[in-house]
Amino acid sequence: MGGDAVVLSDVWKRFRNVVALRGISFRVRRSEIFGLVGPNGAGKTTTLRIISTLVKHDNGFVEVLGHHLPEGKSEVRRRISYLPEDAGLYHRLTGWENLLYFAMIYTEDVQEARKVAEFGATLTGLSRRDLGRRASEYSKGMARRVAIARTLMVKPDLVILDEPTSGLDVFSAYAIRGIIKNFVKKEGMTAIISSHNMLEVQSLCDRVALINRGKIVAIGTPKELIARMKASDLEEAFIRMVGDSYE
Amino acid sequence: MSKLYPIVWKETKDMFRDLRTLSIIAVLPLLIMPLMGLSSIYLQRFQYGVAVVVDNDRASATIGNATFTSSDIANALARRLSLNGFTVYREESVKDFDVEVVIPRGFINNLTSLTSQALIKVVKRVGSSKAEVAISLVNAVASDLVRKVANAKVMLLASLANVSVRTESVIYPVVLSIGLVGPYGGATTPEEDIRARISRLISFSLIFVTTPSIAFITDSIIGEKERKTFEALLSTPVPRYSLVLGKVLSSSLVGLVAGLSDATGLLLFFAIPSVIYGVNLLGYLTPSIVATHASAVYISVLASLAMIMPIIIRTGSYRASQAASLSIIGISSIVFFISLYVDLPNLVPLVKYILYVIPYTHAVIMIRNAVVGLTVNSAVHGLIALAESSGLLLLSVKLFNDERIIYSKT
Repeated sequence: MGGDAVVLSDVWKRFRNVVALRGISFRVRRSEIFGLVGPNGAGKTTTLRIISTLVKHDNGFVEVLGHHLPEGKSEVRRRISYLPEDAGLYHRLTGWENLLYFAMIYTEDVQEARKVAEFGATLTGLSRRDLGRRASEYSKGMARRVAIARTLMVKPDLVILDEPTSGLDVFSAYAIRGIIKNFVKKEGMTAIISSHNMLEVQSLCDRVALINRGKIVAIGTPKELIARMKASDLEEAFIRMVGDSYE
Repeated sequence: MSKLYPIVWKETKDMFRDLRTLSIIAVLPLLIMPLMGLSSIYLQRFQYGVAVVVDNDRASATIGNATFTSSDIANALARRLSLNGFTVYREESVKDFDVEVVIPRGFINNLTSLTSQALIKVVKRVGSSKAEVAISLVNAVASDLVRKVANAKVMLLASLANVSVRTESVIYPVVLSIGLVGPYGGATTPEEDIRARISRLISFSLIFVTTPSIAFITDSIIGEKERKTFEALLSTPVPRYSLVLGKVLSSSLVGLVAGLSDATGLLLFFAIPSVIYGVNLLGYLTPSIVATHASAVYISVLASLAMIMPIIIRTGSYRASQAASLSIIGISSIVFFISLYVDLPNLVPLVKYILYVIPYTHAVIMIRNAVVGLTVNSAVHGLIALAESSGLLLLSVKLFNDERIIYSKT
């Protein structure tokens, strides 16, 4: 299975009567930003949760950073960082304390944790004063900046971001995309980003998997997918690919 | 760094910044327990009570030198009731009473006869707590009368028979001599006996400590899920035992705050009768009793958390946790309430061993044994409670299922 950061092969997942994933397969190469795009209920979050070790797949093969899941989940958890969709902050902690908490979880001593949190603080782009305020006083955009910084500051081998800009205004979303693009690329991290914002994925990702109804319908670079569907952008390409089956 | 540290660090910061809830937890026992003390003493007095005392006999008679008059007896009854807060009416026409006491016709005749018994008719209103108080007051007057009449009759018979008689030997031919023995068989003092009785009240006070910590641990897990912070935390390298233990330890600190407040409330509870009656009940609370109480508080808090944890972990739901917490509070109430009047270790084996499965039982026995000087036995029961709680926490770790928690409905 070589040097790929993530390998999924014929992965199935069922929740009672609902089949969430129907044999999806894809690989994420090391140091690439991989997009997982699809409509609501397509299976993006379930896929990310499986890769994040939170959900066990029913059938198929999952390997993350060289470890099979679910057996190797403890090793995987040390090397990944996951930002769930709408992930919140601890409202009674300050922004700084939110960063420090996660830094302490990933490090071995408080001094090291402080350094990591300091780095996270610079990633947020927020002032010291703002970081000293309780998270309950933050706007959605500020909270998301802290959450993104919290995810990236530990410099994981694999970062998993589920809808990182969903619900944000244009300026906040732009700032978040800037953090992701600059930092992830610069550090050579592998990233998987799910979104239903096709333009965001087109601008951020090296390769993209289009997922619909629990199946991967296409994988390639944004350019390849656009060319394959003779579309003007990724959104149009996606609609052409799945439009007939999407109600 | 142990992964336990960040969890405890965050949880304690989070909880101790919830000042509104904390202040309620800390202040409530300080208000409730003295109020309990006050209400138990004062409310009975402030309760409106009506008594009717009627003398239908209007007679008097003598036994030897002693004269007994029905009106004197009725007056004595009325005075005793009146002194204890009753409004006393002397006409039979009053029907809205808690208790009616009637001296019937022929009462004095029967009272002074050597072949009959005299009857005082008492009618009480169903469900009236004041009626119970009134009857005990009537009994006290009647006992006084019985002693006087018996004394007069005995002296009369003695003079007729020309024998020497000591009245008490006739009226009370058997007297109980009650001694006290300590847990190791040696003699002990009445103070120790009072202390042992107080230990029941101390055990009962544990009833207040279970609720706050349960509320905090439920919020700590299900609230975190609801506020969408749990999923990210679960994907980190935090071992599940650190997560469970960290949250339990932090919530137990809140429980400890509640416990300290509870202990202070208990002191106030004892202080009130001390002030009102001049009885120094506080003097019976030795430092070791207070320390044992504090330990029992912490153990009870841990036990509550350990009991609710598997349910929270398994269901991940507020509703199920609330239902479970009610059950746990119910169980604790049963154990702490029966400890008021039952010696738990002396129950029949089946019941005893069922109760021994509940950690609260050991907290109660721990207090009781410490108070009577069985220190080692007290410590053993404390350790059993801790062991049972640890077992439940291990079960929680075993039951921890990320997927179930993530997808459960809150």
